[in-house]
Amino acid sequence: MKLAVFLSDLRRTEDTYERLKAEKLGVILVENGIYHAVIKEGGKDSPVLSKAGATFYALTDDLETRGYTAANVNPKVKLVSYGDIVDLITNEYEKTAWL
Amino acid sequence: MAELTLGVFPSLVGSMSLDFSFKLAEAAIAKGHKVNMWLSGNAVMMAKKGQKAFKDYSHLEKRMKELMSKGMEITVCEACAEARGYHKEDVPEGMKRASMDWYLAKTVKTDRLLHIGGE
Amino acid sequence: MGAVKLLFVVQRPPYKSENPRLALTHALASQTAEIYMDEGDSVVPTVAFVGDGVLNAVKGQQAMKTYGVTSTESHIKGCLMTDVPIWVCKEDMERLGLKEDQIVSDAEDMGGADISTKFVSFAEIQKEMESVKHLLFF
Repeated sequence: MKLAVFLSDLRRTEDTYERLKAEKLGVILVENGIYHAVIKEGGKDSPVLSKAGATFYALTDDLETRGYTAANVNPKVKLVSYGDIVDLITNEYEKTAWL
Repeated sequence: MAELTLGVFPSLVGSMSLDFSFKLAEAAIAKGHKVNMWLSGNAVMMAKKGQKAFKDYSHLEKRMKELMSKGMEITVCEACAEARGYHKEDVPEGMKRASMDWYLAKTVKTDRLLHIGGE
Repeated sequence: MGAVKLLFVVQRPPYKSENPRLALTHALASQTAEIYMDEGDSVVPTVAFVGDGVLNAVKGQQAMKTYGVTSTESHIKGCLMTDVPIWVCKEDMERLGLKEDQIVSDAEDMGGADISTKFVSFAEIQKEMESVKHLLFF
């Protein structure tokens, strides 16, 4: 399964996220999900970014809306536009899950 | 080109997920994809025309009309709308009302489904 | 296209959010979706309760008595009566201290159903995620 998971919250649906598996997994951080790309709670990366084998993306618009820039973003995370998300879900992944 | 169906449930005011879905739809249409949108739950707030635009609140009626003029099909859940007091005569021009089976039927042929449920 | 499988995954507890109820009512709508589809097409839904969402399936709900609204329990029974499979994640039940006899498993009081609730591992739900065409997380 090629799955694009959307995370739009800082907390709430971690138990589902942690258990999800996919042969190809993309994690698209949008809305308050972008905090996983920028905060270091207790000095550590968000546990969301430790998902093995996943590729991480964060929506630039939602990052900037919340006062962050590319300079704040964890190097594990690629910044994307709305157009990039369209390309990801139509070309790279075959299913989506908005947790 | 692909067909993308968005099922959106969060409200216009009190959430930015509906804004997200309209921006994503706009980007998909700009790339030549066909987009369908199902609005259910609190997202049926879009089924009331003439909403005043304030800068403190999301306002999507204008963008919605632009997207519909470019071929986007938008249908709202009739029962969810009626339960909130949005009647047939309140619906913005071009928007359709249907029961939930419309959405289920769209999932058959659509290439991708993005279901934005949580609120 | 023929029969298209969908998996509805309910992650949130009932009542505070409308979403678990909408998962069930949308799944039930598969019964009448043919009117919008081509001959031979159909949608085949399964509803899986995971995480805190398993709390939707606790039996004895009295929402009609307390708030005058149909209970989530009734909607689950409605699904069972229309052959919409209901799955509840065993690991999450265990985590929340729920036993099988506390969970809605049939629709005897509504006339009976041919199917009953399945208690499944998350791995089984994951397998179903892989086999369906689309996922709908609530």
